[in-house]
Amino acid sequence: MQKILRKRILRDFKENLARYLALGLLIVLGMYIVVSLIAAADTIIVRSADAAAKQYVEDGQFELFAPLSSAELKELKEKGVTVEAHFYLDYEIGDDSVLRVSAIREKIDRAQADLGELPGEKGEVFLEKRYCEEHDISVGDQVAIGAHSFTVCGIGTVPDYEAPYRNLSDSTVDSGQFGIGFVSVTDYEELKKEAQSLQAEKYVYAYLLNGKLTDKELKETLKGFCLSADGLSKLTQFLVAKDNIRIGAATDDVIINKMAGLFAGVLLIVLLAYVISVFVVHTIEKESEVIGTLYALGVKRRELLAHYLFLPVVIAFVSGIIGTMIGYSSFGIRTQMQDVYNYFSVPEFAALYEPYLLIYGILMPPAAAALTNLFVIRRKLKKPALSLIRREQKAAKGREIKLGKLGFVRTFQIRQFLREMRTAFTIFFGMLFSLLVCMISLNCYVLCEHVREDTVADTKYEYMYTYKYPEEAVPEGGEEAYGVTLKREVLGYNLDVTLLGIHEDNPYFDASVSEGQTFVLISEALASKFGLKAGDDLVLEDEENDRSYAFIVDGIVPYSAGIFAFMEIDSMRELMGENEDYYNIVFAGHVLDIDSGRLYASSSKGEVEKSADVFMELMWPMIIMLSIASALLFLVVMYLMLKVMVDRSALSISMMKVFGYRKREIRKLYLNGNLMVVAVSALVGIPLAKVIMDALYPYMVSNVAVNLNLAFSWWMYVGLFVLIIVLYFLSMPFLMQKVNRILPIEVLKNRE
Amino acid sequence: MYLEVNNVKKSYGEGGSFMEVLKGISVSVEKGDMCVIQGTSGSGKSTLLNCIGGLDLADSGSIKVDGKEICGLSQEKLSDYRRENLGFIFQFYNLVPNLTVKENIQVCEYLSPHPLHLFELLETLGLTEHQNKFPSQLSGGQQQRCAIARALIKNPKLLLCDEPTGALDSGTSRDILVLLEEVNRKYGTTMLIVTHNNSIKNMVDQVIFLKDGQIKNNHRNVKKVPAAELEDL
Repeated sequence: MQKILRKRILRDFKENLARYLALGLLIVLGMYIVVSLIAAADTIIVRSADAAAKQYVEDGQFELFAPLSSAELKELKEKGVTVEAHFYLDYEIGDDSVLRVSAIREKIDRAQADLGELPGEKGEVFLEKRYCEEHDISVGDQVAIGAHSFTVCGIGTVPDYEAPYRNLSDSTVDSGQFGIGFVSVTDYEELKKEAQSLQAEKYVYAYLLNGKLTDKELKETLKGFCLSADGLSKLTQFLVAKDNIRIGAATDDVIINKMAGLFAGVLLIVLLAYVISVFVVHTIEKESEVIGTLYALGVKRRELLAHYLFLPVVIAFVSGIIGTMIGYSSFGIRTQMQDVYNYFSVPEFAALYEPYLLIYGILMPPAAAALTNLFVIRRKLKKPALSLIRREQKAAKGREIKLGKLGFVRTFQIRQFLREMRTAFTIFFGMLFSLLVCMISLNCYVLCEHVREDTVADTKYEYMYTYKYPEEAVPEGGEEAYGVTLKREVLGYNLDVTLLGIHEDNPYFDASVSEGQTFVLISEALASKFGLKAGDDLVLEDEENDRSYAFIVDGIVPYSAGIFAFMEIDSMRELMGENEDYYNIVFAGHVLDIDSGRLYASSSKGEVEKSADVFMELMWPMIIMLSIASALLFLVVMYLMLKVMVDRSALSISMMKVFGYRKREIRKLYLNGNLMVVAVSALVGIPLAKVIMDALYPYMVSNVAVNLNLAFSWWMYVGLFVLIIVLYFLSMPFLMQKVNRILPIEVLKNRE
Repeated sequence: MYLEVNNVKKSYGEGGSFMEVLKGISVSVEKGDMCVIQGTSGSGKSTLLNCIGGLDLADSGSIKVDGKEICGLSQEKLSDYRRENLGFIFQFYNLVPNLTVKENIQVCEYLSPHPLHLFELLETLGLTEHQNKFPSQLSGGQQQRCAIARALIKNPKLLLCDEPTGALDSGTSRDILVLLEEVNRKYGTTMLIVTHNNSIKNMVDQVIFLKDGQIKNNHRNVKKVPAAELEDL
């Protein structure tokens, strides 16, 4: 029997080709977005970790005043630690950009060539790929470094400069201004002798612990390496890999995409399963008498269940496969990865085919279609044969509303709405799901926009200097501060929190700190990220020294540009065991004359503002893609649902045509009422979707340390509403076409 | 007796809307007989047919088909009972719209372990030349023939017809009745026909007249008039 019934499946498919194509297209689009977003993120996360491991990415690095002596190197070797000198010199290249040149590495953070090879011969340089892209440099080109001209022998990446920040305190990567190059040991020694670099050689070492020591133990050992007998330690900086912003940066960036993909995927699948179930229910209702008759003849419910499930499941399955294939194609995965390639310096990754994602993309759509429809169809087919043959409807409670003295048209429209209330709810839910997908992108947009605006508005200083070796006296015109980076966990991520000691009258932060070690003021960003308010406890971890600091939140400071906790500087010095005049940060309203050797980093307001723009630049493609997808999704779902409404009213429309109603009048009676449905759905759906997505958003951006300000401007709400109405009017001509095709004879044929 | 109905009662609704449709019906039909159930609207004739067909459940009493009690069977068992024993024909043909005539019949062919021969049945019902047409391409009479063929292909022991000519003109009605008569003769199918039409009673073996849920009259025709000769259809 199934064999015979299957013949009608193909015919049904042909008859409703437009509907099924639209539905299939939605699934293809949905799966494409979900699979490409997640696959790109997974590829970057896994492949960059693999590549880093293959190139022996460092466990950490440290910088010294002077190189390690042979005895010190021997001591470290005996402790089981692998150490490699990653000394470097910075050179200004022709176009004012800076190229950091090192000797080629052999043991740690080894270079990987995308093109060409590593330098072997004298006069060869291997360059980092993003720098080459920005400067249009190819293998074989000549680059002048110092007094020498080098031939580019290879282009590629190194794992400790995945995000090629020039300074560790930088907040923006700018490959137009900064790049890395590697030359042979001999060439490096020659460059060093020429002394044409921008600054003195930096004595940076990378290390691998090999499981023999902990970071803390190594740091203690290094602290014991002194410059002279007076006990001054050589160690100027110690940085473990997980705190190094240059390492694993691409992974951190794509985690948000992966979360957005997973959220959007679940929403899409639920929506599509629901839309499919509306179609199937409509078909079953239309064929009620046929089904009842087949029951009467002894056809079993499970046989019809299998029959009605077949087409939606097959369409979902085939569309899921197509969507997944496009998602995994270079058009999908490669496009999604492009933003990462445009910003980070990572090797060319082969697409990663994670089994869970293949199962998700290929099996989830048919499984969701099968489960939803199984639930819906079973209920529909559960009716007794006689009830189906007679098309018995359950008493529609609450629909016998007295409408008073409304005009005929208004009364008819309301009655039509009451009759089609279920389809109207489907439009509402379709709109809500589409709005949720849209809200993922709009929230991302406003988050980035607020980060940008707040950073500009809240950064009141013009320059910030972070010291390695502070002078005794604070430079004139500068405002001293004392900053310590501590940690606090939120939603599984250990985020940096800066505890900043400032004076009460500090002109750059609107924080009236008072003496004492119990209370701190926190920035708005910290409050929103960790969900804290005045009176709450705030425990911050000093992982390096295995210490915890507990405070009580005294109030929230209107500062959104950083995750900061503020306390009075003298109290903080006391708490941290520092001298009473110690400081390590100076804020200023103008440039200060500070010896660069003393500084760990300096940053200007302009640089901070530029770094705030980067968020938006990185997220923009995802924002655009999800916005367009959600609009398309809504348009198709609304059209399909309104079409179902028209189909269900076909007999009644046909009857109206028999009575002599004109097209315009029929449109007024059957379609114009839907405008109200769409408008009311939008009025309820927009704020509801916003509330839901705002509640979910902290989980999606749990790895990002920014102020979670998701507030929309009023025009965004209005814009969304107008867009929905415009999309509604866009679907109208298609629906009118459908109405026009209904002939007066229809009613006579079907009543026969 | 092939069909034995004993003191069957059926009511609908509660309180003010309570209505007893069958008030203790007892009747029997012999194997291979054609039987007409007549009565005015609301007399309970369709309800009785539906109870016999297992589409509706009697409140009390007994219905035995070929010696097997069907009252009290579960929905699943009733479905099996219909599958193995019954053919149904309704006033509206309820054909699957996007299956051809042949395919509509084949849907039920697969339900029976011993179906009738498809092409012989198509020939008998005059559908051979229409077998590849869709229901929308057929006249009302042709559609009803198709519905009859669909019901008969299973080779049912009992054929239940609810107003089989209700939607047809007199000429087509006569053709359908001739057909049912031929099927009864050729395959020995027991038939219960619910109808408003007063002429049909003349062509069958037994006539049951219901009024207000009770049997008013139940008699056997001494002389049957062939369907082709029926008047005032």
